[in-house]
Amino acid sequence: MGAKAISTEGLSKRYGNVHALESLDLEVAEGEVVGYLGPNGAGKTTTIRLLLGLIRPTAGRAEIFGLDCQHQVVKVHRHLAYVPGETSLWPSLTGTETLHLLGRVQGRVDEAYTQELIRRFDLDVSKKVRAYSKGNRQKLILVAALMTRPDLLVLDEPTSGLDPLMEQAFRHCVHEARERGQTIFLSSHILSEVEALCDRIGILREGVLVEMGTLQEMRHLSAFTVEATFDGPVPDLSRVPGVSSVEVVGHLVRCQVRGTVEPLLQVLAASGVQQLLSREPSLEELFLAQYGVNVEPEDTSANAG
Amino acid sequence: MVFRQTARRTVRSGVLWGYVFGLYVATQALAYASSYKTVAQRIGLAKEFGANAGVSALVGPAHDIQTVAGFTVWKCLAVLAVVGAVWGLLTGTRLLRGEEDSGRWELLLAGQTTRRAAAAQALVGLACGVAVLWTISAAILVVVGRSSKVDVSAPGALFLAVAIVAAAAMFLAVGTLASQFAATRRQASAYGGAVLGVSYALRMVADSGTGLGWLRWTSPLGWVEELQPLTAPHPLALLPVVGLTAVLSFLTICLAGERDLGSSVIRDHTSSAPRTTLLFGPSGLDLRLARATFAGWGVGIAAYGLVLGLVAKSAGSAIASSTSLTRALSRLGAIGTEAYLGVAFLLMAVLLAFVASGQISSARAEEAEGRLDHLLVRPVSRSSWLVGRLGVVTVVLILGGLVAGVSTWLGAASQQSGVSFGTMLQAGLNVVPPAVCILGIGALVFGFWPRASTVATYGVLVWSFLVELIGGVVGLNHWVLDASLFHQMAAAPAVSPDWASGGVLVAIGVVAAVAGGTAFSHRDLKGE
Repeated sequence: MGAKAISTEGLSKRYGNVHALESLDLEVAEGEVVGYLGPNGAGKTTTIRLLLGLIRPTAGRAEIFGLDCQHQVVKVHRHLAYVPGETSLWPSLTGTETLHLLGRVQGRVDEAYTQELIRRFDLDVSKKVRAYSKGNRQKLILVAALMTRPDLLVLDEPTSGLDPLMEQAFRHCVHEARERGQTIFLSSHILSEVEALCDRIGILREGVLVEMGTLQEMRHLSAFTVEATFDGPVPDLSRVPGVSSVEVVGHLVRCQVRGTVEPLLQVLAASGVQQLLSREPSLEELFLAQYGVNVEPEDTSANAG
Repeated sequence: MVFRQTARRTVRSGVLWGYVFGLYVATQALAYASSYKTVAQRIGLAKEFGANAGVSALVGPAHDIQTVAGFTVWKCLAVLAVVGAVWGLLTGTRLLRGEEDSGRWELLLAGQTTRRAAAAQALVGLACGVAVLWTISAAILVVVGRSSKVDVSAPGALFLAVAIVAAAAMFLAVGTLASQFAATRRQASAYGGAVLGVSYALRMVADSGTGLGWLRWTSPLGWVEELQPLTAPHPLALLPVVGLTAVLSFLTICLAGERDLGSSVIRDHTSSAPRTTLLFGPSGLDLRLARATFAGWGVGIAAYGLVLGLVAKSAGSAIASSTSLTRALSRLGAIGTEAYLGVAFLLMAVLLAFVASGQISSARAEEAEGRLDHLLVRPVSRSSWLVGRLGVVTVVLILGGLVAGVSTWLGAASQQSGVSFGTMLQAGLNVVPPAVCILGIGALVFGFWPRASTVATYGVLVWSFLVELIGGVVGLNHWVLDASLFHQMAAAPAVSPDWASGGVLVAIGVVAAVAGGTAFSHRDLKGE
């Protein structure tokens, strides 16, 4: 631990006037599982293609295990495996043939584990790729990546097209990989997946990394939700310091609190509160807050957040 | 949507081939008019070929070949019918089965269009392409027909153009119907190819002078011949042409509505035992994916070589009887059989150049469709991928050249033409350098402007071919001629191969490929 699996310095990519990625500084330690979030077009795939050396940075540099991603591509690629979200394979090859080819090109394959993966993902490898559904193609390319037991797994929305059962199998594999000390860089917009799997999370917005840390750290930075039920009339909480997004439904009030909860408690205690519920924000709420979208669709009150 | 997509792509290809067809006919007509000036020469030629059963089996019977019109029809119609049929077949399967395979139809059909309507729209799109093909060839023929040397009436020229595109239209329909039966584009092309093969064979038997002339009416290529444009126009023969096209199109629409998207009438073998011999790395993969294509070209080149060899002796003596051609060629040091083969081998060089261009196009497709990613995210450098790929194609081109030489020698030897094996082997190798050069230029464009690689590579090929073809007739400026890659090639076996200029072509190709490879190593991978 401690050594850098991925490190980037001012990594940028511009297409004409569009900044697909702006000055990304990212560090992923060996053995870490990092989630990389952002809506479509935020620059997730651009980051990954830069790390893989498939596209050239406009500025900055990236290293994987201390090797330059642009100039030592072949050496870098001995250490990693990549799963794209959209997979186009050679339609005339069968599953077995595809795995054989990709294994030969990679150079090292754990044969027993490959068979185990095929079984686990319930994949019929005697079929030709052209006869595969999108989900099956995705499974095939997941097996191809996992079977080499790479030091670094770069996954770009790897579960698109997988059914819930297979997604479970995928999570199992990621846990295994992590226990073996493999590093995982997981780009996704399935938040539950990231929440369940990742040690640290980065949030990307319009090409800029706006947040990076553990879920705990990010929760501290963010507001948490308080719900209180009253006997009598609901007091006005909108002027209490640190409170925002106040929403009243009958005798119930729901609000967001940032920083210390003390001023709110004082007001509540004085107003005959009957029930009090407080919970940490989910990753989804954190993520949506980053994008300035209200978590509660019916929330029409002032949103100072 | 389907209409627009299909129309745009067919029309683009129709424009290109319209020029090729039109200019091919025009140059043949002008070449004849200027080579055989006197009536005596023309009658001599007609005597030589008119009654030759072998030649007429290959390219159809000769009617009135002592006239410019008759000769032109005889020289061009059968050849262009086959070229047009192949064009139609490949275009039809590419734009129907190919598009469906790639999943693009799925997107289009997610809208309001039904499968039946989509197939109908695609057919109308293809019809636009045929219309453009006809318009451009017809325009060129009308213009050339006005020349006093050729002297063909405008209606005659228009009908000749109809005859030329008739096979293209019929086999477009064959291709679209085959696309309903077969599960892959290659399979669809193979079914259509079988139909074309049978048509050609039937027509060949019908024209071989064995009293089986009626067989001509059983073959679509025979109907084209029965149109007899310019010599004895026979518009009634258009009935089966139109009928077949209409029936096949109708069946296409019906079957498209009956089946599911992505499925086929004939069930596909979706599983097979693994064959991993070639799957040891990127170059092996190329060979595995392209082996059927290479084999197809190999058979085509061998067949063409055999045919050339078979007719070389009689064709050569006809050339020898043409004083002006003999004079031109004897300056080069050859007459007769070898002179004929020297001229005919230009087409061999063009065929090999097509193999090279096709491989640049498929390299680009690997990149554009994202399959290349799977190799390049593994320990494979871009340069080694490209070098491996170009290496495989170069070996295939050399083999192709050898096949050309040997098959032609076999044909010629069977007729006791007295052409030596060594000479033909050298002539075969002589057509390789232009193809290698085009391969290198293709790699250059692929490196710098990937999205233009297919168009640019075929562009260089067609440009070189047209300049060489036209230049041989109308005496183009030598700067223009020098810009044709085929012009740099010695007309072996009419003359001995010029290995020095061959070497220069190869060197240009290598330098271009190195530049392209370097650029490719330093650029972004680009999708469609």
